[in-house]
Amino acid sequence: MNRLLLVITLLGVAVTAAAAGLPPGIMLTDGRPAPALQLENLDGEPFDLANSRGHWLFVHFWASWCGPCRREMPTIQKMMETLQDKRLEIVMVNTAETEDEVFSFLGIVAPDVIPLMDTDGLVTEAWQPRGLPATFFVDPDGYIRYLALGGREWHTPPYLDFLHRLITSP
Amino acid sequence: MQIQWLLPWIAALLLTNSSPSAALPWADGETPPGPYVDNEQLFMLLRLHTPDQIGAFYEARGFPPAAIERIRQTCFITVHIDNKSNRILWLETSNWHITQNGKPVQRLGFAYWDSVWDEIGLPQANRSTFGWTQLPDVRDLQPAEPVGGNFVLPRNKQPYTIAANFHTGKDKRLGLAQVKFDQLYCAEDPPEQ
Repeated sequence: MNRLLLVITLLGVAVTAAAAGLPPGIMLTDGRPAPALQLENLDGEPFDLANSRGHWLFVHFWASWCGPCRREMPTIQKMMETLQDKRLEIVMVNTAETEDEVFSFLGIVAPDVIPLMDTDGLVTEAWQPRGLPATFFVDPDGYIRYLALGGREWHTPPYLDFLHRLITSP
Repeated sequence: MQIQWLLPWIAALLLTNSSPSAALPWADGETPPGPYVDNEQLFMLLRLHTPDQIGAFYEARGFPPAAIERIRQTCFITVHIDNKSNRILWLETSNWHITQNGKPVQRLGFAYWDSVWDEIGLPQANRSTFGWTQLPDVRDLQPAEPVGGNFVLPRNKQPYTIAANFHTGKDKRLGLAQVKFDQLYCAEDPPEQ
């Protein structure tokens, strides 16, 4: 009985520790396969998520009319500058806006971001985000493992540490 | 349309979904810009927009005149909710009771707007944008998770009452959070100068 209690306690401690390891607003998901994502970017170059296996992906949905997206975008730009690591691919998806709207917004706040253009919004709907902005973390095998709730300050230590742990995990 | 007086409102409309980290579109210490409830379980704010304000927002997003006309005929309320508790808070608009002079009123929800957009042939991109600016019907708000979006009612001059009920807990068995807003009038544009 005592041994069982000890095991339960240790399990509880382990789960709590794992949960505590996630920065605020990052949720574990049920590990569903990532939906298809085939789009062209702002420069007209094609992208297919199915060709991006073997490393983690940061898949982010946004729109320039969304206040939290506007506040979050500069933090993604800074994170990209800080993190530069091929083990994490940043995939930015604009939801249902025109090239002009996207270009004029990103040119000011995040010039290094070249988004994929979901011009009719249907790819975004297939991913079923909880709202905009939304960030999904897709593992090297193509499964969604984590979800960020709302906008995050990606350039700050808790999130940079999380991203670093993600890409260095075995 | 006088654009100058609309600018602060257009900026405020950029709320929709918000984040706990960089959340609120007004400065710390300032009074929230609309009727609100703030208790241990949740923070909930309503902002009622005039036809010019809401029309300008969607016009700036490239919506065609026929869509703007239909939008302007209704009463847009931007809702912001933060789950301040340490348990799941269930946003289920089917558990909200909206009344006017004691009579129940239905939200002009996703099905209503789908039929309007079918009628005028609204492009898919505009439909998508419109959908993301609406308050979702259902959301299991996690601790500290916010949600925002528009809640649309028929436009008239009578006051609305909104009684919003939220189940709490993963299985909805940890009690009910209730908030009530009275005397909500659809906002009107100022008279032409």
